Amino acid sequence: MEGRCAVETWAQFGFSGRSYKVKILCGFGTDVLICTGTEEIYVFSKRERKITTVLLLPAAVNDLVGNQDKQLIYVACRSGVYRVNLQFLLHRDQSSQADASSSPAELKISQECLVVGADEVSSLLLVGSVLLTLCQRDASWLLTLYKTPKQTASTSHKEFGSFHLPVASAVDCGAAESNRGPRKGSVLICIHSGDVEASSSSNASAESTVAQDHFHLEPLLFKLLFGVEAALAKSPVILCGLPDGRLCFLPLRLPGSRLRVLHSLEQPVCFVGASVVTETGHAQCLVAAGEQGRVALIKTDKAGSEGGSAVAAFTEGCVPGPVWCGCMDKSCFYYSTGADLLRLDLSEGSFARESKERGEETSGTTAAALQSPSSLNVCRVIALAEPACSTAAGDVQLLGVSARGQLQRICLPAGRVDEGSSKLPSTQVSRSVRDLLSAIGDVCERASVLKTVIKSKNQFLRLLNHAVSVSFLLMADTTTDLPIKEKPIRCHFETSWSRLLQKDSLSLVCFLHNSSPFVLERGWTLSITVSPLSYSSSPAGESSSTNFSFPFHDLRPGQTFEASLPIAAAGDASFPMTVSCSLIFSLSSLLGEEEVAASFAGLQSSCISLPLSTLTVDWLHALQLNSPTATHKMATVQPSSAAADSIQTFLSSRQLRCSGRTNRGGESAAKPEPEKYSASVWVSSEIVRDTLKPKKSSNLDAKESIRDPEDLCLSLLERLLSEDTEGVKMGCQGDKIALSTSVAHARGPNGAAMKLTVKEINVGEEESTDKEATIEVQIESSSLAAVCGLHHAVLRRIQTLLQSATEKAASIKNVQILGLRRALQQAEIQQSQISGAFGEVVSTVQRDRLLLSVYQELRRNPLLIV
Amino acid sequence: MYQPPSLPEKWSQENNELVNKCKQQEAAGGAVSRDHRQSSLRWCSSEFHKLLRKIQGIPPHVDHSQLELAVVYNTCVCFTAQSQFSEAELLLKEATERVLQVTGNNADTSDPLVLWRAGLKSAGNTALHPHVLYLLCLQWALWLAKCQLENIGELQEQMSSLCEIVCDGVGDGSLSEAKGRLSKSPLLVMEPKRLTELLQICTSIAQGAEKLNEGRSSEALSVLQAASALPATRALVAYTHLLSGSCLAHMNRPQMALQCYKRALETDSRCVCALYRSMLIYRQLGNTQAEIQALRLLHSTLMLPPATEPVLGGIQPLSPSLLLSSQSLSRLLSVPSALSVLYSLALKCVLSGRVTEGVEHYLDLLAALHSEDQHAVDAEVSVLPRMPELYLEAGTALLFTRRPADCMAFCNEVISTTLELVPEKVVLEEPEEGIGGDARGLSVEGEDKVAMLLWAAAAYLVQGHCHAHLKDWKQAVTHYTRCINLLVKVHLKNRDFQPQIPAADVNVKHGKDLCTLQRMKGLSLAWRGISFTQMDQLREALRDLQLSLQAFPDYTGAGLWCGEVLWRLGRKHEAAACWEKTWSLTTQTSVEKLPLYLQDPQSGPLLDSVELRFRIQELGLT
Repeated sequence: MEGRCAVETWAQFGFSGRSYKVKILCGFGTDVLICTGTEEIYVFSKRERKITTVLLLPAAVNDLVGNQDKQLIYVACRSGVYRVNLQFLLHRDQSSQADASSSPAELKISQECLVVGADEVSSLLLVGSVLLTLCQRDASWLLTLYKTPKQTASTSHKEFGSFHLPVASAVDCGAAESNRGPRKGSVLICIHSGDVEASSSSNASAESTVAQDHFHLEPLLFKLLFGVEAALAKSPVILCGLPDGRLCFLPLRLPGSRLRVLHSLEQPVCFVGASVVTETGHAQCLVAAGEQGRVALIKTDKAGSEGGSAVAAFTEGCVPGPVWCGCMDKSCFYYSTGADLLRLDLSEGSFARESKERGEETSGTTAAALQSPSSLNVCRVIALAEPACSTAAGDVQLLGVSARGQLQRICLPAGRVDEGSSKLPSTQVSRSVRDLLSAIGDVCERASVLKTVIKSKNQFLRLLNHAVSVSFLLMADTTTDLPIKEKPIRCHFETSWSRLLQKDSLSLVCFLHNSSPFVLERGWTLSITVSPLSYSSSPAGESSSTNFSFPFHDLRPGQTFEASLPIAAAGDASFPMTVSCSLIFSLSSLLGEEEVAASFAGLQSSCISLPLSTLTVDWLHALQLNSPTATHKMATVQPSSAAADSIQTFLSSRQLRCSGRTNRGGESAAKPEPEKYSASVWVSSEIVRDTLKPKKSSNLDAKESIRDPEDLCLSLLERLLSEDTEGVKMGCQGDKIALSTSVAHARGPNGAAMKLTVKEINVGEEESTDKEATIEVQIESSSLAAVCGLHHAVLRRIQTLLQSATEKAASIKNVQILGLRRALQQAEIQQSQISGAFGEVVSTVQRDRLLLSVYQELRRNPLLIV
Repeated sequence: MYQPPSLPEKWSQENNELVNKCKQQEAAGGAVSRDHRQSSLRWCSSEFHKLLRKIQGIPPHVDHSQLELAVVYNTCVCFTAQSQFSEAELLLKEATERVLQVTGNNADTSDPLVLWRAGLKSAGNTALHPHVLYLLCLQWALWLAKCQLENIGELQEQMSSLCEIVCDGVGDGSLSEAKGRLSKSPLLVMEPKRLTELLQICTSIAQGAEKLNEGRSSEALSVLQAASALPATRALVAYTHLLSGSCLAHMNRPQMALQCYKRALETDSRCVCALYRSMLIYRQLGNTQAEIQALRLLHSTLMLPPATEPVLGGIQPLSPSLLLSSQSLSRLLSVPSALSVLYSLALKCVLSGRVTEGVEHYLDLLAALHSEDQHAVDAEVSVLPRMPELYLEAGTALLFTRRPADCMAFCNEVISTTLELVPEKVVLEEPEEGIGGDARGLSVEGEDKVAMLLWAAAAYLVQGHCHAHLKDWKQAVTHYTRCINLLVKVHLKNRDFQPQIPAADVNVKHGKDLCTLQRMKGLSLAWRGISFTQMDQLREALRDLQLSLQAFPDYTGAGLWCGEVLWRLGRKHEAAACWEKTWSLTTQTSVEKLPLYLQDPQSGPLLDSVELRFRIQELGLT
């Protein structure tokens, strides 16, 4: 199969020697008609693969044309033109063949079928309902037009016109002609203008005639060759090639037209056709081939020499060898020289390619293309035809008759590209297959890598999008200043004491509630910084702040994240402390890959930090209340592991008990033990009542209870101890402390025992009649730090309490005067004391003591908060 | 030498059989096709010829001379019917010589006239005489078919006596006698009497035509009027009337000619030539309505199915058409093709103001040209214009009937066909004496580049008119501009050319092209100017109108509008001068000779001359 034609012999018929009158006629379904220049016409059935019928005519056959629609053939014989109704014949043939199927049926065509009594008709053509005959009469060629009847039954063929063309002086009557035997016939074809078939439906009958001798030419070339009048009249043009080499044309439907000469090949014309068919089905090249190998190609030259308009370009050239017969397909001209079957590729593509290589003008290359027909290695073909029914794409099949009288099917190798590849040896083929497979694998791999990269990029973008959304959400929070409960991402804390390994430790539990619509996922970290409020206390000067960070994995909307951070073991913490928490989005953690983090060292620090909230954990939060049961429990449990601590605890608790007891009795605890320090805060009971009232409004009898000053004190204490401020709340330590009295004993985070007393007093000058009802919160402890811390905490609480208090209608004037006077007095005293302390040269211990006493004074006699 | 008596009898029998067969075939011949008739004739002639060979194989003898001459007659009739004149003539010559041999005279001459005289003389009053006369009839027919009328004139007296004998005396007499000796006398293919009658009238017709051709109309008239009384078929009598009419027309008596044509038509309703000739007379008389009527009748007669047309001369082997083949006669009897008639009808209708009718005829014409039944059968040079011109004329006619969309479609067809072929530059050379037109007309490429360009330009011009008709001035300007752009591609190459005098009577193609070019330039520029005027672009309008007047000074429309634009520009005195100058131009170029599409469009804005004069008067007063 390598680049060669497959020749399949279909039939052999009794015929030998060479005749010029061989013609193959296709297009009658599966039947092929072959005339060989004798009296016989063979009907070959492709389906049955054999000659089914032989038509026997009265004289030697010159030409044969068919009308597919009506299943008619016209046969030009020596004695005239006969019409044969093929359908009828073959039908009869089939019925008769049922029994005797082996030998072909022989049918005699009688004189009845004679329709035109002209002698020696050399060529026939059917155009629609017109039958054209071409014959030589004395000194002129005669083209005669006959009207074929509409009904197939009638035999009258009316002649209605004829055209004469004088015979030219024989150009080629040389010796070559004489020894070639019978005179070569003429060629008749019909050319339609390309745009006619699209526009007019009246040409349908012309279409359906066997397409072997009908061609559709590109409209521009048609106009250039045959004139605009023929184009405007939508007339088909008859083209005839004569044995004297002339190519004549006749516009069939144009009134007053005559047979004119288009070109002369100067050797007998043996083939005329059109090729280089475009997508629209119009041929772009008219081809005429002479017997001795002269070929004329007629094309449109768009950039004509004459002022830029298109002209018809005639290119003449010689192809090797005599041309015995030829046929055309969409782009190629096939011809047989007897020794070989050759193919000329006329398509524009091949011209363009060559012209690029050689850099010549088109006409030159066309001529060059004529020089190099490709051989197909089939010899002794004397007639060629391309079957109307073409096979699979790219595959060209020709029908040929060989000089030995064989009907052959010639399968040409499909297109040029295949031709090149089919020449490779099999080893190369397998190697190239392997190469291809591995290449496919590579591509697949690359594709999957790219796919994952794209996927991760998408993921990354999605995360970034979330991050940006969350950032905007949080930034919006800071600007709009929502109450903490309504923030989409909020955190609050709880303190709780726990005892582990005999050691009490305070831990802060952080709750982060995500009520935003976004998932906090990989890349997000909750960072909590705990630092003392007062930096000065740190001796080393360095920041004693502690950082905790909790990376999120998937915190879905509506979920709460809980983290517990140990703040301090008992005794070594400095309260109050600031807890600031923020959400951190880190790009490097987002990327996740270690190598990425390593390669982009700078990236590690690149993160977005979004502050969530800042809180203060003060002494009140860190208090360990001593309930009677608790102390008892403590007392009972601890002795087994009796350590210094427990004794200390016990002692201090005892101490507190005592002091509590004494305080309960005494009205003003004015003189505590020398090591005991105290501080107090006065708040107008009116304010306290007002502020606490809404809190208890849900309770019906709350009002009654609050009326009672005792209850008021109790609720204030309760509030101080348990109320959560700024999101920090003292965790419930086991059971809820039931405060029965307005005195609470507790231990501070540093272990110092302390007492918190809330009671109602009357502040005011003794002599004045209007005494203001005041609530005093008194803090007492042996530890100065505890007193200070607790005082600070209580003040903060009351401050926040009062901030939320409504405007009250109290007479402030008296109190103000009262307070002012006393404040002034005290200020004077303290001023003198401080100045005295600094003014005298005393030891630092003395001075400290002095300052402390002043401080204590300040604490003990607070301003009344109204 | 003794011949068995059976032999001449046998020959005679054979001859009679053949004649009967011939007559049978002819009787059936009406239905059979021409080819069939031809083949049967061929067969007959070959059979007769074979028989004659047998007879002539023996030396001439009085006994069977009669038979021999009858067979010669039959053979010659068959040969003549097949137009094998030379063979027939040879046979006749041989026969005459044999007659002379029989009668004992010897003729050394080869001159047929001398031979015939001698033959007739020697036959004298013998029994052979009628048969020799029959042969002379055939010789007459041959001379007539070969248009050798002078030979017939030479033997005038023999001919006339022949006529008398054959038709009156011998004919009838021999017939009655023949009835008596039917078995003896050989049969003839064609009755000599019928042949003589046919020959007489055909000779008169041919002679009349010849004389008419030579300009001797009155002589011809007398010959023809005498012939019209002869017994003959209707068609031949109609011919005599027709030719008489032609003679009268030549003698400048159109009304009498019309009478003759009418008589011809009355005699034979299928005498289309009479219709055609009367149409020509009406045209000459300027009777447009009658001309259109005649054209319409002519067309419908020509369109009748030819199958019903009876063969001239019935079923005779020798048909009148064979005898009336003279060039001058066929020229007189020629009728243009149906398409040409239809075209003339359409054009005439449009020109005479029956535009709607004309458009219908144009559309019929184009439909006929595009139909599949149309074939290039006319060998005569067609009087139809070229196809693009036909399209343009049809388009213009459509515009006249206010169908601009259809008109534009036609023009588009022309443009799409021609525009691709229009070159960038065309040189129009000055018409040179003689060779100019023909050489280019026959170029193998087919079409003339100049013609192509002019067609495309004309199509644009007509499209411009369409847009102007629709008052789409912008589009109109576009199309006029396209037309002008095409026209300026033509470069005139001449030595001393004055565009002012494009001689109207120049027949040379180039002169016509030049005239067309100038007129088209003038029209397109003027109408672009008018369009500009409508768009109030007066400066451009003035420029175009002045250019138009330069290109084609005779166009009054341009002059009037030029004045109008000047008036609007405030140059009133110049305007008045322009108008006066335009009115003074009296040279109205013959509109009839121009193609339809180069005429002034009948639609569009008009200027009223009266109003203009009134304006001039006012100007004069102030």
